[in-house]
Amino acid sequence: MTHVRVFFIGGYIAYRALFNWMHPSYYIPTMLGAPLFQILFFAYIGRYTGLKDDAFFVVGNAVQLSAMAGVYGMAMTIGGERWTQTLSPLLATPANRLALFLGRSLPLIANGMVTSVFAFGVGWWLLDFELAAESIPPLAAIVLVSAVACTAFGLLVGAIGLRARDVFFLANLAVFSLLLMCGVNIPLDAFPGWMEAISRALPLTHGIEAAREVAAGAGFADVDHLFWTELGIGVFYGAFAYALFRFFEADGRKRATLETM
Amino acid sequence: MAVIEASELRRTYRTTTGTIRRRRVEVEAVRGISFEVAEGELFGLLGPNGAGKTTTIKMLITLLVPTSGSARVLGHDVVREAGEVRRRVGYVFGGERGVYERLSALDNLRYFAELYGVPGREQKTRIAELLDLVGLTGREKERVEGYSRGMRQRLHIARGLLHDPPVLFLDEPTIGLDPVGARELRAMIATLAESGKTILLTTHYMFEADSLCDRIAVIAKGKIVAEGTPQQLKGGVAEGWVVEIEVYGIEDVVLDRLRAVPGVRAVAVEERDQAQLVVVQTDSGQELTHALLSRMDGAAVGRVSSREPTLEDAYVALVGES
Repeated sequence: MTHVRVFFIGGYIAYRALFNWMHPSYYIPTMLGAPLFQILFFAYIGRYTGLKDDAFFVVGNAVQLSAMAGVYGMAMTIGGERWTQTLSPLLATPANRLALFLGRSLPLIANGMVTSVFAFGVGWWLLDFELAAESIPPLAAIVLVSAVACTAFGLLVGAIGLRARDVFFLANLAVFSLLLMCGVNIPLDAFPGWMEAISRALPLTHGIEAAREVAAGAGFADVDHLFWTELGIGVFYGAFAYALFRFFEADGRKRATLETM
Repeated sequence: MAVIEASELRRTYRTTTGTIRRRRVEVEAVRGISFEVAEGELFGLLGPNGAGKTTTIKMLITLLVPTSGSARVLGHDVVREAGEVRRRVGYVFGGERGVYERLSALDNLRYFAELYGVPGREQKTRIAELLDLVGLTGREKERVEGYSRGMRQRLHIARGLLHDPPVLFLDEPTIGLDPVGARELRAMIATLAESGKTILLTTHYMFEADSLCDRIAVIAKGKIVAEGTPQQLKGGVAEGWVVEIEVYGIEDVVLDRLRAVPGVRAVAVEERDQAQLVVVQTDSGQELTHALLSRMDGAAVGRVSSREPTLEDAYVALVGES
């Protein structure tokens, strides 16, 4: 019961404690304003170059935007604690670490979903993007699993924050790597083989591919292999991140690196 | 039975210096200290900045692994049974940081109550009691970012007590507080001690350790240089004399010459605006003023006085000798 409370209630309070964007004056420009311009930016580049239609960019960016909260947010779960010097009191508690840090991911996943829905709305309202009503449930499931996978990837960045002094540059690197390599705005077949291989091991890639097919009219059964692959990649990154987190916590106690600023 | 046991506790930090030619340096923060704290005792670790007090506490609360030696809290090893130790200890440290600024005091306490596993049905009562104890009732719904340093410090205390731990570690809890705030906090610590909690307090204020602690260990440069009740420590330097010499600029070589004078126990320098005050502790029955002044060639000497030693002098002597 304690672990469940730490997961849900603790996760919610920590989210309120650590994130600037809780306030509308931060939330709107960060989580809605920037995504709006990102979608328009790439859609108009697409129109200008005539390489792909609006739907390609709307779907790619709308799914990718669900990653923003996950990666930055999870990076902040450690980096922010270090900054506020609350990491010591936090790690001095007996709380289960899995519940403690995984609980923080729930609000971020929800946040990613909100951003994604907003981005699809922008595409429908301002660009040439249509979505059949029957495509919405499978698309929502795909966005959800992509947000989960990206948040797990973000947890990996957060875990590195137990060792590295500053993880925010790493979070930037992660977000832009995903933007470049996951087929958000550039089809995977445009990449050299080694880049495509990396893309296939990253979160988002399979989610975006599935989302594009569903948006084009495919059913969930047609893309379920992509869905499960995306989920599997998320589980892998989550498990790896947790193992790394425990290792760095133990190692930080030995090397006295938990409180370095 | 000892509640806290430290045995030959040692902690070395590895760091690097230089930018291009990086060199690894080892710093010995704690150099093999041993002590025991009995149940219900308020034990003070007294020492100057950098003496190893915080490092010692961090090893005892499981945030740092000792380089060698061992420590047990309530019979649990701080390395092998870290989880057991964490459930039973509270940790309070000084300073303004370490609380969630964007949350209210109430939410800060609710969060840590969850992390310490305080059952949901007990949280409301427990938090209300603690807010009352630390004098934050009525302000608990305000964001911490608007709190004064004293209020934050009281919030730290409340957080450390959420799970009603039998053992409390207070790391310089009054640091940076105004005199009234510090006095209130000391009164609170005394109340906690009276309630039967075992407390390890670190401070660099001699009078604070003297007024609160049952026993004190003076720590300097990572080693315990004296241990006993406040009365025993005072007794160790009660016999002697102090010569104070006001100077305007003094070099280390002159201080070394003063230390070499037979009968001199310790020499310390206190900065006083434009001048410095050289405080020389001497053996009792020795009149060394002339001998000291004769070794201060080149220094501009002002007022010279002598007096009986105080408790502060005892501390300076112990730290200075280490």
